[in-house]
Amino acid sequence: MEGQVGGSGEEFAVGCLLSIKTTLGDEFDGQVMAFDRFTNMLGLKSGPRRNIRLLNANYIKDFSFLGQADDPLDPKKCFLDLSRLQAREHLAVRQAEADAQRIGVGVTTEAQNIFDALSKTLPVRWDKTVIVVMNEVRVSSPYLPESVSGGTAAANERVKKVLEFERKRLQARGSSQG
Amino acid sequence: MMNLQQVMPPKSTANGFGRRRGEREGGTRLESKSQSGKSNSGRVTTTVIGSKSGSCAVSSHDKLLYLASCLIGLSVEVQVKGGSVYAGIFHATSDEKDFGVILKMARLIKDGNFRGQKTVAEFVSKPPSKNFIIPSSELVQVIAKDVAVTRDGFANELQSDKQRELMIDSLISQTRHVEERELEPWIPDEDVPQLPELENIFDDPWNSKKWDQFETNETLFGVKTTFNEELYTTKLLRGPQTEELEKEAARIAREIAGEDTQDLHLAEERGSSIHENLGIDEETRFSSVYRGTGFDDSGYEEDEDIVLNTHNNETFGDSSGSVDQISTDFAIAKSSDGGQLSSSSFIVDEAQTSQSDGTGADLYCSEIPSRNFSTLDSESRVQENLLGECGGNNDAKDFVEKQPLPEDAQLPKSGDSQSSPNREKAGTIKVGRSANATPYSTSHVLSKGNEKTSSHGEPVDVAASCKAPGEPQSVNSRGRPGSSASSNSDRAAATSASSGPGLSPSSSMGSLSSEKSTLNPYAKEFKLNPNAKSFTPSQASARPLSPVADNAFYHPPNVSAVPHMHGLPVGFGMGPSLAAQQPVIYPQIAPMQSPQTYYHPHGPQYGQQMLVGQSRPVFYLPNYQPEMPYKGRDY
Repeated sequence: MEGQVGGSGEEFAVGCLLSIKTTLGDEFDGQVMAFDRFTNMLGLKSGPRRNIRLLNANYIKDFSFLGQADDPLDPKKCFLDLSRLQAREHLAVRQAEADAQRIGVGVTTEAQNIFDALSKTLPVRWDKTVIVVMNEVRVSSPYLPESVSGGTAAANERVKKVLEFERKRLQARGSSQG
Repeated sequence: MMNLQQVMPPKSTANGFGRRRGEREGGTRLESKSQSGKSNSGRVTTTVIGSKSGSCAVSSHDKLLYLASCLIGLSVEVQVKGGSVYAGIFHATSDEKDFGVILKMARLIKDGNFRGQKTVAEFVSKPPSKNFIIPSSELVQVIAKDVAVTRDGFANELQSDKQRELMIDSLISQTRHVEERELEPWIPDEDVPQLPELENIFDDPWNSKKWDQFETNETLFGVKTTFNEELYTTKLLRGPQTEELEKEAARIAREIAGEDTQDLHLAEERGSSIHENLGIDEETRFSSVYRGTGFDDSGYEEDEDIVLNTHNNETFGDSSGSVDQISTDFAIAKSSDGGQLSSSSFIVDEAQTSQSDGTGADLYCSEIPSRNFSTLDSESRVQENLLGECGGNNDAKDFVEKQPLPEDAQLPKSGDSQSSPNREKAGTIKVGRSANATPYSTSHVLSKGNEKTSSHGEPVDVAASCKAPGEPQSVNSRGRPGSSASSNSDRAAATSASSGPGLSPSSSMGSLSSEKSTLNPYAKEFKLNPNAKSFTPSQASARPLSPVADNAFYHPPNVSAVPHMHGLPVGFGMGPSLAAQQPVIYPQIAPMQSPQTYYHPHGPQYGQQMLVGQSRPVFYLPNYQPEMPYKGRDY
């Protein structure tokens, strides 16, 4: 009942509809799902799309009360399936790791785009900042047809061709957007 | 670390709020003290109002905990004090006093140092952090999109996850309520540079620099091929009559391809536009997945029959009066016995009379039927059945009487040494068109034949299979008959029939010994009825499998008495491909003695159809090898 220490120090009732401005400039609406006084964390649900936001109430610059509704969380329906959650996490991590493999570290966006384009039709991987195609052809910075080396003549040619093609396409797309 | 609980246990909060019962039950009743927009004053307190009995109260902390738990494994964005935003997989929150967050595989997506910048700098300067800890002092907010927090939500999420993984056709067709994806038309990239040399190689199939995949492969990668076409198909023998045969085959193909069909996709292929006015959307027109409420074979019957009939009429044209009696559609549930032979011969005969242009190619059609029935079990009951059912008794009789042809050989009968040659009477061959009642009888017969001896199915299937192999649907319908076939003994055949897997064009109809099979030059052209219903013992997709498969049912259920036969791999599906087809003749494999030559429903089993006993080459393709000696059936 008493105010909390910290910026806001108020209690947020579950189910309230609020419009909030944060100190960092974000503005959004949401319905309160939970509020923890001790940590001052506010759990909000916003939008039609079930987006969840955990906000540190200390950073609320301003808010307004939009209305009151019922508690969105029906305790009868709240269950946590730990195994499923963990499985989901493992899957996500594995996926993220795979994705990370495809991202070159310390390479320019352009290089990354080229990598992505090449990967559509050829098996590619990063070796530091060198794109390795089919495990034998190497394309190093600046990723021009001249930078293609290695592999059999046929493979080399092919990579050069595809590289040229993709570069042109990226250019065309870039110019049409830029 | 936070320990996650399965269920929110009640917790008492230290400052005296106590359990908040009924906070959620029956809706939340909140008493708001004062509300204002000001940060310091807006205050709403929750009070317990009439606590409902019951479930554990959940403190606010618990709720938060619960919410956080729901985020585990999801991709979230975390904003920190400086304004930077990190994206990663939510792993855990910190302890109870402070709310910090741990992310896995986190990366910076918005750098707070560059105000207003939407995306991270050009460089990805370092790989994602395996474990990234954001202490509570830094944490501003955690944002997650599309989170399920209740059981309903979980269920939906689970289901849609699973479904999204692999949307196989049967899943789509069987699920009653499928959340259809919103389809968007594909718009090609603009300004895509054209590299003609990369694209036009296949444009002109007859271009001078013919594309040889093997050659290319060898050049590019140094891979030498060991592909030999003849390993997979019968060697094409070109003889003096090749051109004629080719022409004939082309003609047949045109006819088949020009047939009417009720099937949307077939119609599309053939260029006929049915259903134009029916407002069928693009997806239905071109999609391969039939979203029906289950394909009910049985209900179909009547229609099938009718359609079958019509097709038969088309197929076989109008035969002369006498011939009419015979249902040409090979619903030949003929038991495999000698009788069949005669029927076949009969048919052949009819073919002859009705079509003067019987050529080897025609034989194709007739071949099949004969073949089929020869394999059927020996009960000639089938015939009776047919007769009875079709109410075309008179037909049968006529048929029987006809027997014009000497059983000789025009139809290469696969080993049909039927025990009772006289059986042949027709009854079984009910060619679709007969003017009388018979026509769909085939189907009827077929179904009825189920209990009896079976072979009913085949003819229909045969018909079906004759059709282009590429046309899946017919197969299914054909399948039905198949099931009836071999009822007594060989259910397998039936089953196989029903599944009606697609037969590839090359799965020729059971031609058993290539060198010896001879097409009956007078055989009536077999036209595959693509709409023939195939039997499917279980729920099958509405799209019948390729017709060819159906034919396969013709397996002599018990071959004991009948040394030959089987093997009719009826690869009817030649259809339009006839013209280009090489005769598919299965090399005869060692004759199988076992009566169970049954046909495996899927896939071209044709090879297995072997002639037992004498190998009568079963030959059904437009005959490119007229010179093949006709083995003749030995009756």
